Amino acid sequence: MFGTATPLERGLIIIGFLCLLVLPFVITNPYHIHTATMIVYFAFMAASWNFVCGYLGQLSLGHSVFSGVAGYVTVLMFTQLGISPWIGMLFGGLLAAVLSVAIGSLTFRLKGPYFTLTTIAFAEIMRIWFENTDNFIGIPLKGSEGLVVPLVGDSWWAFQFNDKTPYYYIALGLLLMIVLATIMLEKSKLGYYLKAIRGDQDGAEALGINPTKYSLIALSISAFFTGIGGAFFAQFFRYINPERNMGIDMSIDMAIMAIIGGQGTVLGPILGAFILHPIAEITRTTLGGSFLGLHLVIYGTVLALTVLYFPQGIIVPLRRILARISGRAKK
Amino acid sequence: MSAPLLKIDGISKRFGGNQAVKETSFHVDSGEILGLIGPNGAGKTTAFNMIAGYLESDTGDIQLNEKSIKGKKPWDICKAGIARTFQLSKPFGDLSVLENIMVGGFVRSADRRIIETKAREVVVFLGMEAIIDQDALNLTAFDRRKLELGRALATEPKLLLMDEVVAGATPNEASEMVELVKNIRDRGVSILIVEHVMHVIMNLSDRVIVLDSGNLIADGNPEEVVNDPEVMKAYFGEKYVQQQST
Amino acid sequence: MDLLLAAHIVKNGLLIGGIYGGVALGLSLIFGVMRIINFAHGSLLMVAMYLAWFLWKTLGLHPYVAAFITVPALFGLGYLIQSQIISHLFTREKALVVEPLSALLLTAGIFLVLDNLVLMIFGPDVRAVSVDIAYANFFIGEIPVNIPRFIAFVASIVVASGLSYWLKHSNMGRAIRATAQNRDAATMSGINVPFIYNVTFGLGVAILGLFGALLVPFFSITPTLGLSFGIKSFIVVVLGGIGSIWGCVVGGIVLGLFEAVASQFVTATSAAIFSFGLFIVILLVRPKGLMGKA
Repeated sequence: MFGTATPLERGLIIIGFLCLLVLPFVITNPYHIHTATMIVYFAFMAASWNFVCGYLGQLSLGHSVFSGVAGYVTVLMFTQLGISPWIGMLFGGLLAAVLSVAIGSLTFRLKGPYFTLTTIAFAEIMRIWFENTDNFIGIPLKGSEGLVVPLVGDSWWAFQFNDKTPYYYIALGLLLMIVLATIMLEKSKLGYYLKAIRGDQDGAEALGINPTKYSLIALSISAFFTGIGGAFFAQFFRYINPERNMGIDMSIDMAIMAIIGGQGTVLGPILGAFILHPIAEITRTTLGGSFLGLHLVIYGTVLALTVLYFPQGIIVPLRRILARISGRAKK
Repeated sequence: MSAPLLKIDGISKRFGGNQAVKETSFHVDSGEILGLIGPNGAGKTTAFNMIAGYLESDTGDIQLNEKSIKGKKPWDICKAGIARTFQLSKPFGDLSVLENIMVGGFVRSADRRIIETKAREVVVFLGMEAIIDQDALNLTAFDRRKLELGRALATEPKLLLMDEVVAGATPNEASEMVELVKNIRDRGVSILIVEHVMHVIMNLSDRVIVLDSGNLIADGNPEEVVNDPEVMKAYFGEKYVQQQST
Repeated sequence: MDLLLAAHIVKNGLLIGGIYGGVALGLSLIFGVMRIINFAHGSLLMVAMYLAWFLWKTLGLHPYVAAFITVPALFGLGYLIQSQIISHLFTREKALVVEPLSALLLTAGIFLVLDNLVLMIFGPDVRAVSVDIAYANFFIGEIPVNIPRFIAFVASIVVASGLSYWLKHSNMGRAIRATAQNRDAATMSGINVPFIYNVTFGLGVAILGLFGALLVPFFSITPTLGLSFGIKSFIVVVLGGIGSIWGCVVGGIVLGLFEAVASQFVTATSAAIFSFGLFIVILLVRPKGLMGKA
């Protein structure tokens, strides 16, 4: 995607990133910074999902399990052992990666809708287990009630800030990381192999590709990032529960943002998040509680329209328009 | 005499009540083009799939350079030095012609630049320079076939298994393919080819073997084999052979 | 184990299992004929239940009477969804752009729209229909059998029998089976395949209209109950063998019994873990015939 980007597109991408970088200097309302942080966070999550699913052409609706597990690990390591959430975050991400290999080695035997349904089943098993477990071998999980991160005040060590701006920059840093990782993926053996498996699994095997092995490598990286995102989410709200952090809604959000934007591209999932999450925010704030669920009605409609008219995502027609503009500029 | 490159020793495959291949043995010598023919349902593709690791033989052994490869997975067999093409060529979408061929190269090296250089050579060898950057999904059926051949060559095989390479091709395309296959052999790749089009097999093969109902019924140079009564019987039936001999 | 308790468990499992099977029938039919996994299946049941509740609330209609409205209404809804939305995918498929997940994604979009439209209209509160029959029982020996559940159970058997008879013996049924086996050959034999798809989808959803009305007397409703019913229906269909009508009923009963036994050992919510586990195991252990090679 980046490799084939026209100069105009590259320019827009760099301008866009610079805008995000200076955003907190322009807007000062904490609520707006909060919203901007959530948009960047969702872009990061959709891009993490895309890292395996977009390039492999498999639809996982169970990614929330990685975010949830890593979130719990981070919070528990902090509350029970007094370990900094930064370390807990890495540890949670690694655990999510290990978990993903265990789940993936089973689910990758299935294709298409069957793969999707088993990913839902695994994630739901974990969510239901967390919701019904108050105490697991001495670890207080507190079931569906969830865990609160105790307030310690402004502290980098504790990953807690009075101001929203540091959270925003952390999210932006994460987004930059996944963008770079995805660009590297596109240029690497792994990226080529994932696209080959997506195109024709038998054909890929004949070229020396072990589909399960490379799918699992990509999944574990994706799960690691998703886990990091889950830890961030828990720190940002200082609260974690199975429904919000591990439920299917989170998985669906990640997947449809990537799909609507354009899966299997570097920028598609980010585009999806930047289009969809503001819809959720606007409907919630301007219309209030009386229109609970309206944003999901819109998500669903946009998803259906995308599947029907832009199966490769909104990024495709957008790039066509940009190409036409830059073509005209040349003339 | 040196050992053959590929030695097939009594392989069989049974699907339920159907014995697709029965205790079949043959070999491919180094530098040879071996044609494998037989009527529909003779077990040719099954034999192919057993060699390439997509099916495991029920009996016997398969050796490449005197090392057993039986029971290995397709990707390990590719690494061992056997490449294959399929009857239906499906290019990898969202990748260009060059990138499709590069996919094959990664099995020998992780260095993207080396692979790209080698892949460009393959593109030139196939005569596909004009469409090197085209999305592979937009190719014609024959170009897809050539692309698949290119992907296989990029894995730097010692032996290439080709399944029906001229099916659906125009006469011009077919003769281009024949030349290409000969050139591949000249690069030092041995070839086992399954083909229905007789004159292609006659033209290409150094030696021909014939499978019928899972049994190997002939092995020899192309002229000998096509005149073999057993082979004629397999293709045209008993009556035809009797009429011919009277 | 106490014999009476065991009988209770079996009774509960059979009743709820039969209902699961009935609810899953439409999913199986639609998958069998059109190769579409309808992610919105459970949501359509939820819509039917809300419709039955609404008719009871506003007009005072008994749910069993409301069925005469919910069944045609859901048929119409299904027919519309197929003819106006999903059909576009099939026209694209003819142009050889086949993406097996598209249908799943498209129906996932419909699922989001339906669930949240109902949420917007009726709010998140739990609703229930209260009719006298909800608490009526008859006895088999010492075992009480809840009559509305029994009616729903019998309805599953009746609908399954009727459906398989109709598919075998009616002209439309034959056309549907022909289309399921080979779409292109069916087209060439003069069958109007798009119409058959519309009818099949409508029919699959109409069955949900019936069960929506039959379930509300003993099942309270929320806008989010669809997904769990949808997932249970997937489990049932996979258990019973995709596209098989009687397999569906059997699969439902297996799941019902399994849940009834599991809920003796853990809480009802945790028992769902075992259902999901069963689903994964079935898919992994006998993947052939379920997935084939793409």
